Amino acid sequence: MRAPRLQFGLLCLVGISASACSWSRFDDVTADSPNVLLEKPGSMKSGFGNSIATASSADTTVVLVGGGAGDQSGAALYDIGRDASPSTTSVDSGYCAGGTADCFLSSSLAGFAHAPGPDMERPLCFAVGTGSVMTAGLELRCRDASEYTLAIPTAAQKLLTFGLGENQAYDFPVATDRTDHPELLVTVASEPGVHAAWFYPPSSIHFSELSAPKTLFADPTFGKSLAVLVKGTERILAIGVSGKSEVLLWKSEGATSSYIGCLGGLPGLGRALAAGKVNSDDSDDLVISDDLNVSVIDGDALHALPETTSTECSFSSLPAGALLGSFGCGSTTSMTGCATSKFGAALAVGDLDGDGDGEVIVGAPDMTVRGESGAGAILVFDAEKPSDALFVDAKFLSSAKSGDALGSSLAAPHIDGRDIIAAGGNGKAALFYCSPLLAHGAGGPRCP
Amino acid sequence: MFAPVSSGFLSRRGVLLFLLLALVAILSTSAIAQTPGDSSGKRLEAIRAQMEKGQGLYVAGNYSGAAEVFEAGYATYPYSAFLFNAGVCYQKQNDVDHALAKFKEYLKADPNAPDADKVNARIATLEAAKAAALAAAASASATDAGVSADGGVAAPPKPAVILPSGDDQNAMKSLVVIETEPDGAPLRIYQRLDANAAPFKIGTTNSGWKEVVATHAPANLTLDVGHYHVVVEKFRDFNASEADMAVSPGHVHQLKANLSQGQFMAFLRVSANVIGAHAWIDDKKKEHPEWGETPHGELVPGGKHLVLVEAPGFEPFLSSVELEHGEQKELEVRMVRVGYGVLRIDSSAPAVAVSVDEKPKGIWRSGEEPLDARSDSGSHKVTVTSDGRKTFEGIVVVPRGQILPLHVKMIPKYPRGPAWTQAVIGAAFLGGAIFAGVESNKLHDQLQADRQSGALESSDSRATEGRWFAIGADAGFAIAGVLGGLATYNFIKDPLPESSVKPGKLLEFDDPLKARPVARLERPERRTEGVAALQQAPTFSLTPNASSSGGGLFLGGRF
Repeated sequence: MRAPRLQFGLLCLVGISASACSWSRFDDVTADSPNVLLEKPGSMKSGFGNSIATASSADTTVVLVGGGAGDQSGAALYDIGRDASPSTTSVDSGYCAGGTADCFLSSSLAGFAHAPGPDMERPLCFAVGTGSVMTAGLELRCRDASEYTLAIPTAAQKLLTFGLGENQAYDFPVATDRTDHPELLVTVASEPGVHAAWFYPPSSIHFSELSAPKTLFADPTFGKSLAVLVKGTERILAIGVSGKSEVLLWKSEGATSSYIGCLGGLPGLGRALAAGKVNSDDSDDLVISDDLNVSVIDGDALHALPETTSTECSFSSLPAGALLGSFGCGSTTSMTGCATSKFGAALAVGDLDGDGDGEVIVGAPDMTVRGESGAGAILVFDAEKPSDALFVDAKFLSSAKSGDALGSSLAAPHIDGRDIIAAGGNGKAALFYCSPLLAHGAGGPRCP
Repeated sequence: MFAPVSSGFLSRRGVLLFLLLALVAILSTSAIAQTPGDSSGKRLEAIRAQMEKGQGLYVAGNYSGAAEVFEAGYATYPYSAFLFNAGVCYQKQNDVDHALAKFKEYLKADPNAPDADKVNARIATLEAAKAAALAAAASASATDAGVSADGGVAAPPKPAVILPSGDDQNAMKSLVVIETEPDGAPLRIYQRLDANAAPFKIGTTNSGWKEVVATHAPANLTLDVGHYHVVVEKFRDFNASEADMAVSPGHVHQLKANLSQGQFMAFLRVSANVIGAHAWIDDKKKEHPEWGETPHGELVPGGKHLVLVEAPGFEPFLSSVELEHGEQKELEVRMVRVGYGVLRIDSSAPAVAVSVDEKPKGIWRSGEEPLDARSDSGSHKVTVTSDGRKTFEGIVVVPRGQILPLHVKMIPKYPRGPAWTQAVIGAAFLGGAIFAGVESNKLHDQLQADRQSGALESSDSRATEGRWFAIGADAGFAIAGVLGGLATYNFIKDPLPESSVKPGKLLEFDDPLKARPVARLERPERRTEGVAALQQAPTFSLTPNASSSGGGLFLGGRF
């Protein structure tokens, strides 16, 4: 009886020895890992990962990760390519980093495949905030490190000038659609009394102000969440006012725009907004989060809304079938810790499986992961139809640490015929390459 | 009443054996023989040995040697038989003068010798021969003018001697000792002249028999080889008794008649393959002093006797022997050694524990007497252990009935401190390596699982942690392997020889009957496991002692 035990023990010993002998197996297991952590540049201060945006050209895809706010930080650009071999080190960390001119980093970033410039169109640019490059205005910086500013409305200009003079940062949230020549939506809300929203039509450096009943603008949370939906040449411009649980909607085409209504009625509505093709039609759909749920509204239904002067904010004005889906953290699958997860703090829409319609990507930055409270997670839902608003996946980092707050910001970079998830958190930013929706082998070596 | 006497109880080979045994007996008992308490038995044994030695030389043709022995015998034991025998030996060497001298001395020493006429005739013959030889020499001298080649006068030639016929091995005379109890009884000895004569019978004519001696006991007689009849006549109020006697050449014959019993004594000689074995006769329980030590011969009453022979290391021999009155008989005992032996063990180590066939036999300590371990004879596994020394294990053949001294050379164990140190450190490294390996595997498994679930990120710190654990495990295994190898080598390495045993010369068992009566020396008490040494109070003793060689009081004590 003792001999077999002894032999077994020896075999175990040999096995442990043999298996432990190769440290290179850790290289093997981490090579082409499903997720890639982007390295924070040493020059970046606090807040790395608070905001994130992406832009794609025919050659490559870039991701801009913002940190901090105001003049306290900047943003770093990562060239992740079009395949699954990203550069994890920043290729340019000079976005709104001060440098030769003052810059106030916006709480949200907006990417351009091609951005209009004062003299020429530039690829792979980002609207990162406001600053003074030659002139004070909305600051853009491109992959080629060129910087310039776009003119902004007078009230905003005055506020900016004041801020630059007093070194007082004012937040100018931005958003674009995902076309090659996107439309840029910008807002500003400050005390006292400067609440404005404007947009730059595709390929235009000239802004057009959005008008609406003034009472709808009067809130400090005005414009903290933005979305631009595309249908043909038309855009739906959505501006969230989460403090009032409202989402204001405009329709634009070229430099003209019209107010088409206001959604409201759910607590916290408009905390985050996102646009993208959730269903299989040609229009982008609007994704809205409130304090509990995420709702998906058919873009076609929004485009069908007429201009209005009503100040009523509700879903009643939407036609039947406009709500593609509404789901909560644990509404489609059993999940713990949803109540305190800040489910819906960030939203994105990405075609993770490359099938033409997108999946709803929801950030839950306070979710507990593997016992690490506040590590944060990203939940993926397929909400093409109300009946199949199914939970698909939960993304988190294997190195999750308490307080990482992953999912505070989201983007869906486009690579190789599909989208991936880019998520930011408290000091971290990562790329998630794989999805269970991908066909076997379609994700490349990173995806089992 | 007489009993026939065994005359030729020894053959020629028997004679030689007897002579050898007798010589050994003489040598071994010579010291005793010279003491004032020399018994007549031992004296006769010595005479017998001397006589038979001379006879042996004579038979072998060594006449000069035989003559010397007989001469020496006469010098020590003045019996005339030695003189006659010496004369015959000289005559054999054609030494007429010495022969004549011895024959004449013989007659002078024993003028009443029964063969005086024969001896006188021999002397006359020799002298005649001598004279004839001288005359012949003178005549020859005259014829040759008595001048030698060198012109000198030639010396008279040595006479040519003609030896009397019949001087063969039977020419030697024997000494016959006849004793009676009590002394003084009248004796008559008749010689059978006719081989076909009827047995001697008192009161008849006894044709073919001739009276050759008439004397009184004790008598020391020199007789020719032949058959005799001894008659002890009625003495005082004792009845007559008689016995036949065959006299062999060159021997000493002893006859003793116990007149109160009306019988002659018998002579019993006990010899054994063990010299000095103790013999008891008719004393199976050994309640009396021993009869003697082999070889030992003594007159004993006729009849059946129980002979017990013992020697340390041999099985006791008990045999019954029956002797006729006047018979001489030799009992040859072949003693067999006992089936066990003793290992007498000491060692170079201060203390050793001894086991035989895995059974503890005791502990020996330096300064003590060697440890005696009794075991059955044959091969046995002997194990000797000592703290800090290499254990000795070996097969030892225990002799039968003897003591085998064994000196065990216990070699110190080669120090294993470095080996243990290396082993312990190696084990620590091994343990650490196993821990690191397990941790590494655990982390790898976690990472693998995370990869499968899609949660793994490239810079997961567990990968770095796992690499270090793996490197640590590899290093630990390597170091543990090296240390293990070194430890194994140092455990095996042993430049010192193994403990060994050196057997000594086989010893006989101690003979308590031969121990000198001396005061016992105090020896350290040999400890026995679990038994405390017995503490004895001072003692004072006065012990009477008696033995065959003397007696006395022994004063002894222990303080």
